[in-house]
Amino acid sequence: MEPPSDNELVQEVRNGRRQAFTALMRRYQERVYWVARRIVGSHDDADDIVQETFVKAYLALGEFRGDSSFFTWIYRIAVNLSLNALRKRQVLNYLHESELLSRILPSQDDPGKDLENSEIESALQRAVTTLPEKQKAVFVMRYYDEMTYEEIGRVLKTSVGGLKANYFHALRKVREYMRHEIQDGEKPPYG
Amino acid sequence: MKYRMEKNPLTDEAEHELASEIRQLAGSPAGKGSRPPDAYWQNLVVKINGKIDDATSGKALSISWAARVAIPGVVAIVSFLVGLHYYAPDASRHAPSVAEVVLALPPAAIDSLLVDPSGADASLSVEDVATDVFVFSRQQIADYFIEDGNPGAAVDGISDRETSTILAVLASEQK
Repeated sequence: MEPPSDNELVQEVRNGRRQAFTALMRRYQERVYWVARRIVGSHDDADDIVQETFVKAYLALGEFRGDSSFFTWIYRIAVNLSLNALRKRQVLNYLHESELLSRILPSQDDPGKDLENSEIESALQRAVTTLPEKQKAVFVMRYYDEMTYEEIGRVLKTSVGGLKANYFHALRKVREYMRHEIQDGEKPPYG
Repeated sequence: MKYRMEKNPLTDEAEHELASEIRQLAGSPAGKGSRPPDAYWQNLVVKINGKIDDATSGKALSISWAARVAIPGVVAIVSFLVGLHYYAPDASRHAPSVAEVVLALPPAAIDSLLVDPSGADASLSVEDVATDVFVFSRQQIADYFIEDGNPGAAVDGISDRETSTILAVLASEQK
């Protein structure tokens, strides 16, 4: 017997069967987790985002019209939440850098340190963190998830031409970063 | 020649070559970090279901910080106006002082107007108080947001739109 399709499960959830949503979560939790983790760079943040993604999706299921697939829809929620988390981190980093916070929290030797991605395990992940947010999202979807430009376009609501340019710039920046870090043993001056 | 190639790089081959080079440099095709253990995924579903239960039962009704402050304030003002309507000041009677009016407000309404009650001190003189009580120093704002040495609290409560606004302001300041 074939497992039910996403649309069938969505319909069951709308009919009040909560277990159907659990089935959708089990189906997509890993992919949602990984796209979030690759964008935000840490497990803890990705954990928050994946939870928020599914809660938002459940609460907004009535608005899901089925124009795109359920996966595209939920993926878009996760990407948007991840990018918003990055923006909030920027604000937090600013607070840490300000002299104000250093007066309030004098005990921390390097207050911004815990905000950086301590879990970043490879040069590639470090390189990804240096990308601007749009390029980062496109890179994660194209490089890791091997999504087509049309699929990415449906998630980010952007033209294929723009996505190609973003991805190409991202590839070049990542390559340069890795060449410097791996081959020369030092980080490039930008980032 | 090289410049022209850089300006027109959006070919499938160029993309493939770059991606391949990065995979080679990365040393692994996937480049994944460590995967959380299986127990994490089981717990994740339980946690999400719990949050959905909370949200649908109304326990997690989301009221922003601003709304939490504004609602008692609005209630107090409306109550005050209603009171004025029914008990209009009579010149022949003793007019209530500001202190009497303030003391007549519900305690929650008074609290909602205080940004930093911890900073209040009974020994403060009038001169110690800022001219405009609604102008707060950066120090006061930071004290309010940063509770128990947890700077994360400073951004947890701000909306995505507020975040964008703050970043735009910061960017313009840096210019």
